[in-house]
Amino acid sequence: MSLQNKTVQRYRLFFPKETLRESSGRTGIQITRIFRLFNGKPMKVEELEAFEKAINEKMAENPNFSRLNYVMEEAAALLTNEELGKIADYMERRVTNKKFARTYIRPLFQDASIA
Amino acid sequence: MRGLSSLERVILESIGMESLTYDEVQAQSGLQENVCFNILQALIIRGILKCSGNKYKINENISPLMMEEINGLEARKAESLEIMEAVLEQNTDKIFRFQKVAMDSRDEKIFKAMLSNLESFLKDAHKKAQSSVPLKNRQVVFWGMGEVQSLMNQVMTGR
Repeated sequence: MSLQNKTVQRYRLFFPKETLRESSGRTGIQITRIFRLFNGKPMKVEELEAFEKAINEKMAENPNFSRLNYVMEEAAALLTNEELGKIADYMERRVTNKKFARTYIRPLFQDASIA
Repeated sequence: MRGLSSLERVILESIGMESLTYDEVQAQSGLQENVCFNILQALIIRGILKCSGNKYKINENISPLMMEEINGLEARKAESLEIMEAVLEQNTDKIFRFQKVAMDSRDEKIFKAMLSNLESFLKDAHKKAQSSVPLKNRQVVFWGMGEVQSLMNQVMTGR
């Protein structure tokens, strides 16, 4: 998956219920352009940066996220493959249960709608 | 994710060998409406459940590979941990004891015999009430023991 697709997918993960108008307001990118980018049009560097900035701002709202990142780097260096697998399983379970508790599970990418 | 989430297991256990409607599954499992619906859909997509008419049924033709994934040791362990964690984090009516107990070999034997009595009591209680108590109102009970030294070694090595 290209860097652009990854970024858009991450963005939709952090803001799953956001309308195109809201995405436009958050990133400063025009609404029609947002629609095109969500549908795979190639991105300019400044647009990629705008999405990354929005994601980073959202992540900064949760101080434990940077802690988690730091611990994950240490874990990757120190723990065995088996131990890492257990941690990944644990995290996957927490995420899956959280997804079940959502009002509905919305597939990424496929349902961008103009507000 | 490998295996089943404890939420998915509750749905499967609610259905059991029967064919249940959505309302019946929800009444048995006690899950919120949207959660119940999302899980049923996820299980159908994974091929574990079948939906015929308005009834949900467990697929009889689950592949051995999928069976191993659902009921494998690692998956069951992860599922038990999920439930135990929930018991620990319970805010109301919490019953949980955790102690390092000094026991001589005689007392250890007595304790194990008591556990065996407890197990048969639970088995009888379950047999007596399983038809009248829905899954959502059943109690989760667990116990275990281990020697501190060997447990610490396991913690250290991560195995």
